[in-house]
Amino acid sequence: MVRAVPPALRIAAWVFVAATALFLLAPLVVVAGVSVSESQFIAFPPDGLTLRWYEEVLASDAYLAAAALSLQVAVLVTLAATIVGGAAAIALHRRRLPGSDALATAFLSPLVLPTIIYAIGMLMLWSALFGPVSLLTLALSHTVIALPYVVRTTLAVLAESDPFLEEAARTMGAGRLQRLFHVVVPQCLPGLAAGAFFAFNISFDEAVLSLFLRKPGLTTLPVQIYGQLEFSPDPSVAAVSTIMIGVTVLLIVVIDRLLGLQRFASP
Amino acid sequence: MSDRAENLLLLVPGLFLLTVAFLLPIGQMLVLSVSGPDGPTLQHFTRFLGDPFYLGLLWRTVRLSLIITVICAAIGFPLAYIMAHVGPRQRLWLVVLVILPLMTSVVIRSFGWMVLLARSGPVPELARDLGLAGRSFALMNTEAAIVIGMVQVLLPFMTLSILGVISRIDRRLEEAARTMGCGFLAAVGTVVLPLALPGIVAGSLLVFTLSASSFVTPSLLGGPRLQVLAGSIYNAVTQTLEWPFAAAQAVILFAGILLLLVPYIQLTARRHG
Repeated sequence: MVRAVPPALRIAAWVFVAATALFLLAPLVVVAGVSVSESQFIAFPPDGLTLRWYEEVLASDAYLAAAALSLQVAVLVTLAATIVGGAAAIALHRRRLPGSDALATAFLSPLVLPTIIYAIGMLMLWSALFGPVSLLTLALSHTVIALPYVVRTTLAVLAESDPFLEEAARTMGAGRLQRLFHVVVPQCLPGLAAGAFFAFNISFDEAVLSLFLRKPGLTTLPVQIYGQLEFSPDPSVAAVSTIMIGVTVLLIVVIDRLLGLQRFASP
Repeated sequence: MSDRAENLLLLVPGLFLLTVAFLLPIGQMLVLSVSGPDGPTLQHFTRFLGDPFYLGLLWRTVRLSLIITVICAAIGFPLAYIMAHVGPRQRLWLVVLVILPLMTSVVIRSFGWMVLLARSGPVPELARDLGLAGRSFALMNTEAAIVIGMVQVLLPFMTLSILGVISRIDRRLEEAARTMGCGFLAAVGTVVLPLALPGIVAGSLLVFTLSASSFVTPSLLGGPRLQVLAGSIYNAVTQTLEWPFAAAQAVILFAGILLLLVPYIQLTARRHG
């Protein structure tokens, strides 16, 4: 079958893949290139090779404060989304509640609703109820949009788990909590962990919610970068961006080790 | 405690979060969109729908989203087909190729395109060197720039949607068509393409939705003159502080998108199970 593909088409397929790869990766490569350029101005290809933009970032209070806020929010979101989403996925997997399918759809709905619609609603509700937005507003809203990822990865792992293990534990006298924490949760672990890293990534890179829910002193890294791009971009923006790309690469490697990226080939 | 009570307990925190922090905000937006100084009003909607400026911006949003969706499908289908047919090692690399941009912040990817498409950037330079464009050729702050940037942002969604369906098609169907004398392209066109249609449709609905509702890439690459609906919402919230008007625009976006999302959820719900 594979041999039957005409050679000209095979070559065309590889040219197509190479062109698509170039198209998908070019923006990331360019940002990394700009970040090491000696020029004051943003230009590609870079001239020279320097790390001074990275030094500038590490000495900038604005970037460090934004990074600290982004990290705080992302850690809170990771914890909350993993616990809440993992628990929900376990219950959804058992399918013993009426309307399980509808519930599963409800849990995945933040994935398909455009973030801007949610962001504007969140801003308006929070302002009406509590006044100015805060770190909590950011963490709460990021948790909502990260939740579907944890639910999905945990459900994926549970779908391949052995349903009789829990029964076996029950027959042998394990209590409800013992079964949950010694049998079910360990089975979910790869899915929970992958979901946690996804949640971290969603929150850390999120721009729309953070742009709507910002105020002076509540600026996450993507918002800080966005502001710089609108007004006075210099290569230090590229340096921060490159660090963030590095974090993403790291997360992908970790998720691949935990669960295998192949699994996510079917969303 | 019964099994049922245990399951409910596990589900309650999530349901609470979804209700309080997801459904309520959307409700608040709906309420605000019809609120005026003297009670309920539709003035924000009539203002939008009666102003050629806003109608033009709506039309631009729909038109660009359609173009972006079609291009994404045209690239996404062959890419997904290739991903489904190469060996596991190559497939892993292709998955990384698709997921790495997907997981990178939209702000950073748009920044990359700002550099690439800038007046003296690599892409216009190349076009001029190849004689494809004149000396005054520019890409930044054009609709073409928005389309290029958005296709790169959204192509991963389309590819993964189609891949999910293509990888489940029985390989023997294609082989049967080939054995019976069908050419390679004809087999792909008459056997794989129709079977992959649900994935293409689902991916297109998703891409259109995301495209119509994004403002980061359009505002960075298109500039302030080429506003889209989502950018106008963002401006009404943060610059002019007309929140009810912003809410009304969001409701218009929401209504348009709901029309598309209902079939999307029906198409994909079975797979999410």
